[in-house]
Amino acid sequence: MSLLDLLALLPILILVFGGTAILMAGAWYHEPRPLLAGGIATALLAAVAAGLVQPPVAEIAGLFSAGGYARFFTILWALLAAAGLMIAGRFVVEKKIGAGEYVSLILYAAAGMALLSSATHLLGLFLALETFTLAFYILIASNRHCEMAAEAGLKYLLMGAVATGFMAFGIALIYASSGTLALPEAVVQLTTATGELHAWGLLGWGMVLIAVGFKISLAPFHLWTADVYQGAPAPVAGLLATGSKGAVVAALVGMLAMAGPIWHDLIDLIWLLAALTMLVGALSALNQKNLKRLLAYSSVTHMGTLLVGLLCQTSEGLAATTFYVVVYVVASFGAFAVIASLADKRGEPMSFDQWRGLGYRHPVRCAVLVLLLLSLAGLPATAGFMAKFAIFHAALQSGYIGLVMIGILASVISFAFYLRVSMLLFQPDESASRWHVGTSLEHAVLAVCSSAVLLLGLFPGVLFDLIGRLLP
Amino acid sequence: MSMMTSLPQFPWLSLLVLLPLVGALLCLLHSKRPADCRALALATSLAVFAVALYLFVCHGQSDGRWLLYEDVAWIERYGIRYVLAMDGIALLMVLLTAFMQLAAVLLAWRVERHVSSFFALLLLLEAGLMGIFLAYDLVLFYLFWEVALIPMFFLISVWGGANRRQAALKFFLYTLVGSFFMLIAIIALYQIHGAQSGVYTFVIGDLMQTQLTAAQEGWLFAGFMAAFLVKSPLVPFHTWLTDALTEAPAAGSLDLTGLLLKTGIYGLIRVAFPLFPNATENFLPVLGVLALVGLFHAAWAAYHQDDIKRLLAYSSISHLGLVVLGLAAWQLTAWEGSILLMVTHGITTGALFVLVSLIRERTGTRSMQELGGLWGQAPCLAFMFLLFSLASLGLPGLANFAGEILVLLGTFQQHPVWAVVALLGVVFAAAYMLRLVQGVLWGSTHKERVLPDLTMREWLILLPMAILVVWIGIYPEPFLAPLHGSVANLLAGGLP
Repeated sequence: MSLLDLLALLPILILVFGGTAILMAGAWYHEPRPLLAGGIATALLAAVAAGLVQPPVAEIAGLFSAGGYARFFTILWALLAAAGLMIAGRFVVEKKIGAGEYVSLILYAAAGMALLSSATHLLGLFLALETFTLAFYILIASNRHCEMAAEAGLKYLLMGAVATGFMAFGIALIYASSGTLALPEAVVQLTTATGELHAWGLLGWGMVLIAVGFKISLAPFHLWTADVYQGAPAPVAGLLATGSKGAVVAALVGMLAMAGPIWHDLIDLIWLLAALTMLVGALSALNQKNLKRLLAYSSVTHMGTLLVGLLCQTSEGLAATTFYVVVYVVASFGAFAVIASLADKRGEPMSFDQWRGLGYRHPVRCAVLVLLLLSLAGLPATAGFMAKFAIFHAALQSGYIGLVMIGILASVISFAFYLRVSMLLFQPDESASRWHVGTSLEHAVLAVCSSAVLLLGLFPGVLFDLIGRLLP
Repeated sequence: MSMMTSLPQFPWLSLLVLLPLVGALLCLLHSKRPADCRALALATSLAVFAVALYLFVCHGQSDGRWLLYEDVAWIERYGIRYVLAMDGIALLMVLLTAFMQLAAVLLAWRVERHVSSFFALLLLLEAGLMGIFLAYDLVLFYLFWEVALIPMFFLISVWGGANRRQAALKFFLYTLVGSFFMLIAIIALYQIHGAQSGVYTFVIGDLMQTQLTAAQEGWLFAGFMAAFLVKSPLVPFHTWLTDALTEAPAAGSLDLTGLLLKTGIYGLIRVAFPLFPNATENFLPVLGVLALVGLFHAAWAAYHQDDIKRLLAYSSISHLGLVVLGLAAWQLTAWEGSILLMVTHGITTGALFVLVSLIRERTGTRSMQELGGLWGQAPCLAFMFLLFSLASLGLPGLANFAGEILVLLGTFQQHPVWAVVALLGVVFAAAYMLRLVQGVLWGSTHKERVLPDLTMREWLILLPMAILVVWIGIYPEPFLAPLHGSVANLLAGGLP
């Protein structure tokens, strides 16, 4: 690895070394606020570095890309980490969690997600995936006074271990049949002259796909999702629902963009996975009584929709998928941020009984939540509509009419549960209690998320143009 | 397509959409001062009405071309454009919207809970409605279609009656399912057109050039019809309306019956019929029969209601059946009658909903069993009730008669049998309206109640409506004048 490689890796280095420095500082210095501020500053600095420092090489050590697309997601995940720290302030202080550890783990996770989105090598993919998964094992269970959090942490650990096993074995099979771990070559080598996959290669791909299915909770590998999101503290669950899934999808988009069509014989399987995921997610969300569980199932549905975009394998589909990732991250993270901003000594408002009538106690934040939920539902004039439109447009161009019909059906169903929550918030209820008023940092995050949802809905062209230029 | 001029003109149409939006935002910003919100909402509605009236005065005579046309590229990647266009029909609908909105704001003056949100939603609804009547790009149309849905949903679910939550959800899901079919059809048409011509666009005028096979046309037409017929609502799809109208707050019912229902029929005229002429031609007989069934079914149901708000909801469905019948006749006079009837029905039924809410405020009930003797206790209120009831049943000389007679005349030329059957339906309308009048105005007086007569604010709402009802009844020409050219164009399958 040369000095130029290191320069290209600068944003990641800032995240990792910044995180380590804060971890060390936290060992002696126990005041949480300066540590959190340092973490936010580090994450923002990494985002700025990724935006401003021109990478001198196109690829880092043959493992990670340093292209515009990788940079785009590096910035996104760094900003997400900063936002995640901004809404975690009160949680860390009130639950007396070691601020040094918490901040450094978030920064490590962000580094892992950034690396994953830029992986060009199966080994890089594996390493990056494990980096942020390890960080999340600890983060989910960070609230040691809460049994649910411990349960969630354990569940995520077990599922993560299974996924890691599949991933490692799949990669080994791909290596065995192609003789290389570098992504475009491995995929090209797997294909026979007639355009089909080697049997071992197919099995390997299938195993990697199962691992991915666990990570981004595709049905039927989604069963852990709701329990983990419910148990994890909202600032962590927000990152887990958005960044950890978005990074995997971004890695797949990058892979497809570099290697061309890679699904081959797997198309029918992915079709089925996408259809199943969209429907199962939407139907399971219908009878939830807990907002965090509902958001978990909503994320399952969204992952199914993203899979439709990935299935297209066209540049149109990849651009749509990337756009969708950004929109989903903003809206879903915003929804978790609303929960985090309301949390107080009693914990977080979760069950629908606690949310009933809250719109009259905290009108602005509940209105923001409604806006974000409507964006997740895909209401026109919000970013969610353009995102869904782009995916379905690409899918129709690729001829997946049936899948689009299923997707639209799932959207109709999901409108029902998003609206149920919106209605619940503004249902007159004198017994609705007051929650925390929220800090200015939390309000800032919500303001950014809600304005992004509206601006991307009304002027999506800006982001589409950017994505079009960046896709490798 | 005849653009008015290449010179930059003042964006009047955008103003119609933006003014209420700005008003809604300002209302939300003044959430601590309810009095300011009321004033803001009234000022905004007055401003919108002034613009609409100005346009009506300037463009009252139409030769069928676009009166105003605004076209800006919006999301170029997908060929989505911001196109607002106004012909004579849109002009009339815009004027109706602005007028009814004024009444709605005045009617909502005494709303106590969450005043700023109420007025903000009411104004947002107006922006959505204006958008539906003006949009000429399908994505823009769909956007406004949904934008109008959300405020109505919240108006019902937060400020509505006892069963508001069920009613709101039913309203939303019915219309949402319909509009998703429309969305599928929009995207499919866009793809077909793009594949054929290489130009990806959503502008209705351009999409009309698409070559479709009979099967394609049928399916796409069905997608649009799902949205429009549910919204209209034609009879098998109407059950959401009675609940929604009954539960909605007064101003909400006014907007719902006076304006939102018209968007479905307007969609037929502006979008579905021009885009799919062959499928339309095949479907017209079915539409006519459905309209007749609706006319009778709703009239029959109205006759058996005890809740006067529910009765009016069914009478709305019945009247809209007649409107659709006129469209199905596909004849100039009938179409003009249908569109005029949409306007007059908006005013008369809207006024009746206002009166029902006033009666409810005073007596605490809407049940005909418990009402009666209003004539002796509040004569002015009772007179207004009588006037609008008579207008609603189609008394010659009052507004609805003008529209109904044109519909019947026009239909008779094409389908004499339909017209004769429909005429029976109109007689039926007299039966349930007279029963309503009898139950509310006459009969035994409930002495224990003290009923104050109309207040100044209530006069302000009702008097302009009363004047219009008489005016249109006697001399409808100013309101028919903008229609001639546009209707003739649409019937010929051409562009405005």
